[in-house]
Amino acid sequence: MAPYLPIVIMLGLGMLFAAGSFIGSGLLAPKKPTNAKSAPYECGIVPQREPVARFPVRFYLIAMIFIIFDIEIIFLYPFAVVFHQLGSFGLSEMVVFAVVVFVSFVYLISNGALDWGPVKRYGIQEPYPQRTTTSTIRRVASGEEAA
Amino acid sequence: MEGLIFLIPAMPLAGFFINLFFGRFLPKRVVGWLATALVGVSFVIALTEYFHLLSLTSAARALAPNLFTWFAVGHLSIHFGAYLDPLSSVMILFVTGVATLIHAYSIGYMDHDPRFRTFFVYLNLFVFSMLVLVLANNFVVAFLGWEGVGACSYWLISFWFDRDSAASAGKKAFIINRIGDFGYMLGMFLLFEVAKSLNYTSVFGNIASSAAHGGHPFISGPQATAIALLLFVGAAGKSAQIPLFVWLVDAMEGPTPVSALIHAATMVTAGVYLMARVAPIIHLSSNAGTVIAIVGAATAFVAATAATAQNDIKKVLAYSTVSQLGYMFLGIGSGAYVAAIFLMITHAFYKALLFLGAGSVIHSLGDEQDIKKMGALYKLMPITGFTFIIAWLSIAGLPPFSGFFSKGDVLLAAYSKSPILWAVGAITAILTAYYMGREVYLVFFGSPRYREALTNHDGHGAHSEPHESPKVMTVPLIILAIASILAGVMNLGISSSTDFLTNWLMPVFGKAQANLTFGGGTKVILEVGDIVFALLGIFIATRAWSKTASNPSLEVGFLKKGWQIDHLFDSVFARGSSGLAIELNEIVDNEVIDGAVNGSGRLIGALGGSLRGIQSGYVRSYALIISFGVVLILGFVITRAGL
Amino acid sequence: MNSILGLISTGPKIVFPSISYKAIGPEIILIVGALVIMLISSLAPSLKRTKAIGAMAFAVTAIALIDSIVLWSNFVSHGASRAIASSIVLDGFAIFLMITISSAALLSVLAGEAYLSRSRIGRVEYHCLLLLSSAGAILLASAGDLIVVFLGLEILSIALYVMAAFEKRNQLSGEAGLKYFILGGFSSAIFLYGIALTYGATGTTNIQKIASFLATNTVTSNGVLLAGIALLIVGLGFKVAAVPFHLWTPDVYQGAPAAASGYMAAVAKAAGFAGLLRILITAFPTQRLDWQPIIWGLAALTLVVGAILAIVQSDIKRMLAYSSINHAGFVLLGVAAGTAGGVSGSLYYLIAYTFMVIGTFAIVNVFEDSDTGVVPIERLRGLARTNPALALFMAVLLVAQAGAPLTTGLLAKFSVIAATVKAHSYILAVIAMLSAVIATFFYLRVVAVMYSKVPQDKVSESPIDDEEVLVFASGGDGDLGSFDRPEGDLAVLAPAKVAVARSLRISTEAKIVVGISILFTVGFGIFPNPLVHMADLAKLLF
Repeated sequence: MAPYLPIVIMLGLGMLFAAGSFIGSGLLAPKKPTNAKSAPYECGIVPQREPVARFPVRFYLIAMIFIIFDIEIIFLYPFAVVFHQLGSFGLSEMVVFAVVVFVSFVYLISNGALDWGPVKRYGIQEPYPQRTTTSTIRRVASGEEAA
Repeated sequence: MEGLIFLIPAMPLAGFFINLFFGRFLPKRVVGWLATALVGVSFVIALTEYFHLLSLTSAARALAPNLFTWFAVGHLSIHFGAYLDPLSSVMILFVTGVATLIHAYSIGYMDHDPRFRTFFVYLNLFVFSMLVLVLANNFVVAFLGWEGVGACSYWLISFWFDRDSAASAGKKAFIINRIGDFGYMLGMFLLFEVAKSLNYTSVFGNIASSAAHGGHPFISGPQATAIALLLFVGAAGKSAQIPLFVWLVDAMEGPTPVSALIHAATMVTAGVYLMARVAPIIHLSSNAGTVIAIVGAATAFVAATAATAQNDIKKVLAYSTVSQLGYMFLGIGSGAYVAAIFLMITHAFYKALLFLGAGSVIHSLGDEQDIKKMGALYKLMPITGFTFIIAWLSIAGLPPFSGFFSKGDVLLAAYSKSPILWAVGAITAILTAYYMGREVYLVFFGSPRYREALTNHDGHGAHSEPHESPKVMTVPLIILAIASILAGVMNLGISSSTDFLTNWLMPVFGKAQANLTFGGGTKVILEVGDIVFALLGIFIATRAWSKTASNPSLEVGFLKKGWQIDHLFDSVFARGSSGLAIELNEIVDNEVIDGAVNGSGRLIGALGGSLRGIQSGYVRSYALIISFGVVLILGFVITRAGL
Repeated sequence: MNSILGLISTGPKIVFPSISYKAIGPEIILIVGALVIMLISSLAPSLKRTKAIGAMAFAVTAIALIDSIVLWSNFVSHGASRAIASSIVLDGFAIFLMITISSAALLSVLAGEAYLSRSRIGRVEYHCLLLLSSAGAILLASAGDLIVVFLGLEILSIALYVMAAFEKRNQLSGEAGLKYFILGGFSSAIFLYGIALTYGATGTTNIQKIASFLATNTVTSNGVLLAGIALLIVGLGFKVAAVPFHLWTPDVYQGAPAAASGYMAAVAKAAGFAGLLRILITAFPTQRLDWQPIIWGLAALTLVVGAILAIVQSDIKRMLAYSSINHAGFVLLGVAAGTAGGVSGSLYYLIAYTFMVIGTFAIVNVFEDSDTGVVPIERLRGLARTNPALALFMAVLLVAQAGAPLTTGLLAKFSVIAATVKAHSYILAVIAMLSAVIATFFYLRVVAVMYSKVPQDKVSESPIDDEEVLVFASGGDGDLGSFDRPEGDLAVLAPAKVAVARSLRISTEAKIVVGISILFTVGFGIFPNPLVHMADLAKLLF
């Protein structure tokens, strides 16, 4: 069992952290609810069920970028632990790995993945696609339908 | 001399390329005559090669010059090479000879066609392919030619593709030929597996030497049977034997010279040639010959009966061709290879003559093909009429015309194989004389019925009266007529010294050729019988058709439709599989593409075992099918596992 | 805490395998190339939409191809070798496929340029994904270990998922990508499970060691092993589109841009069959009697279903998808034979097919509707009149796929069928032959359409039948695309009919791709010896 001990400890730490975050924020956050504050809108019909939460797509993008670095860190930790045994070979391989991740990061930034606000376009700005009939009309042969 | 052999197919190939690339810059006449002349040159070279062979001793008469090695995989090495022996020399002579005449004839016949040049491009390509098929020194290169003639035949049948019937006839021919091809391919594979080679020289050499040394035959009996019969499937497709003959009748949608060249004289005889080529293999098998003979006899009979009820001038000839090809296979199956080749040559002459004569009639009547709408044309078209009658007497088998000798030889061999086969052949002979007689009377004699035809086809307003065709068309008719009369000289069957063809071909067939011995008068009786049958058929035709053009009791509907075999094909194969395709189409295509694209998925009710589930556009059902496949495979694995 | 840290750092001493970078040269070239292109395009955004990106990608694939050829000549002179702890195998088989795959990548870069120059969508992404996926495919081809096989498979697939969804304005394309992704994930999981079971049964994932383990030991309860083999077959069967794991193929090939479809058809097949042949023939020769019937069944189903369903298609891309399924069936014949002849037949088939299919899709690309991506067969009607050269090339490539003489197609079909006959699977040979007959029909149907006349009265009208104009945005009911939807504007109907009578613009790149494909197909059809010899050298697996 001994070799697995660190894993068990990590597991415990992870659970503690997650639980701690919830409990901590619950304890620390000020809570002074009133009826008006609890209502979803200030006016209109009171909804019967929870409205769907809407996120900008960018949240997902950020999350995915985060995962890339997360994975890099997952590799970096064990590498650091056995750094001496791996020697220069390990270092160079790790640098290669980091460069690969970094290049993709550069690519993401260049494509505006981290830009908030109105979309900035790099390179040649293309107009909206030409309004062609294939994009606007359902059927060519029976024109009445389209109207 | 050997190198010259390659010039024989090279000539039409050159014609093909010249007319393909430069044809549009040349005047029509030049295109036509160039194509004709090049094939003519091939004929001349073929003649010189023939004389070259003649100068050699009979054992040395097999030249196998090699052009280059095409590919070599493992044991299989395929050379682009020629194989010239008495058999292939006979074939090239008559292929180039008949082709030259038909090219010349086409110059007149296709004169008004807007795609005149294209036509000659196809014709030259066809002749080239045919020569490759005949001259190849192995089965693979022969297969190239085999496919080539099939493709050309497809193009030429559908030459007037704006007619629906022509387009579908072409397709039909192509598809049925593919069925045959697959027999050829399987036969070829099997032969390679057994003989480790596909080269004629080595395969037949090995067979001969193992036979000479005794002991184990090079190819065992059952293997030989399988190979011979698979190749026969190929031959049956190409040569229109039961049940694959339906395409040949429809193939008459092509221009008449094409019918004459491809679907009477040359391509359809490729199957006969193939069978003659593998004679040593058939000889090793105990049953293959019998099967071939039975199929041949049955085809001869069925097609002859069908021919008696046709009204289309070319369809009569088409069924007649099928029937004559049946005779050839009867000869092959009976071991009378020489007789089969002999019949093939004489048939090429008289059948080409018949087709060209028919073409001449059709041409002058403004594309009318119904013999019920002809009549009394003999006086107006004397040359066509006279040569047509010669062809009739020849195919009927009256002496001294060539058909008498060649058909007589086949029937003799059939008799020695089995009297039943002979009887079928004899009845067919009566029918042959009869249906051709019917056609002759309806077209050239009796009362004139063509007025209506001419007024109906107002497109050819110039033809106020039927007239004889131009010289470029009648000269080939005359030459072919002379050939039809005289071709019998090749093998008179009187004494072995005058049997030129037999002596010429014997080294090729050797032991495979059945040795016919008849006691005393049998042979004479059988030959007299042949004459009697022919006269009987002619007599019946005269009684029934010389006065009237309508005799419904003699035109049975069942026969008119060619024994309904077409219908059978249609309902069993074509409709069956196209039904399946339509069904799948409805389910898969309409529902799915529409449904998937709309993303709405209002399609398809129940999933489950039915086909509807497949390709529904739903990822979940795809995953289900995949899982189903996994379960199936795992289930299979469990039965194998020694748990 | 001290004890824990000590426990971690005093692990067993790490022994590195010696790493031969030469052995994975093509992979390195392709991946580094992809990274460089990404970096350059990020730092110099003005380059993004220029042909410079394409030129770089072309250079990368060309170098990879040259490197593969160098490896081949090394192999010919020095024989096969292993590298990196036997997880990479450099035998003729692997290198032959490297050449196949890098040629496919090279042609697809060009074909992609032809497509991208009229599309609005990113050049950089297309080329990078293409380079990365071919790196994966090459890794798979040279893998000597099941884990490396899986690695290659995933690198290949993930890039392909994105390529399928590339035409992001087109719903079909998005749908294709998603379907491919989900089902691909499904099959990868199955494959991985197969690896696990195999490992459980044999104690190793190295293909060579599995074989020697099975040769020296008798597995008494072989259920686990057989289940492992079965799942491996399923996982790769999905990649090569063997029936019944083919269902994604038509949707994906239709949805993806034609250039990408051609690439997918060629490379995914080559890589999938590389894995299948390598695993079945090197690792499990002792289990032959167990896996052969499975492959037999897959081959028969694949041949028949592919051919029959291809007949009824009205969209060329979909038709080619089913035809690719049919082709997969033919390659499976070689696998089913399981002999050296079968392997070389399959290899020959794959390289022949690669060139034919990329050429064909490059031509189809010309006709692609830039909005919906569909190409109804009817759109080719009368092509022989308007552009005889293009029609002729298309016809040659199609009849080559049908197995016409004087093209590589004939010998390809011949060699696999011959191997089948040699392995005494006569029934399978008959099925293959019949399906070839059916296949001939649907290829010739397209040829016939190209060579038939356009009916005069239809010229001014749309050659697109109304049912074939796939509804671009069913979002008529939703809000999608409402910004450019004129309400009841009937006037725009008229230009639609004119728009389809557009003249064909064929880019130079497309011409080059088609030219190379034709040269290869016909050239090696007439003089097949060098290629046959190569496939013959490659047939012996290490």
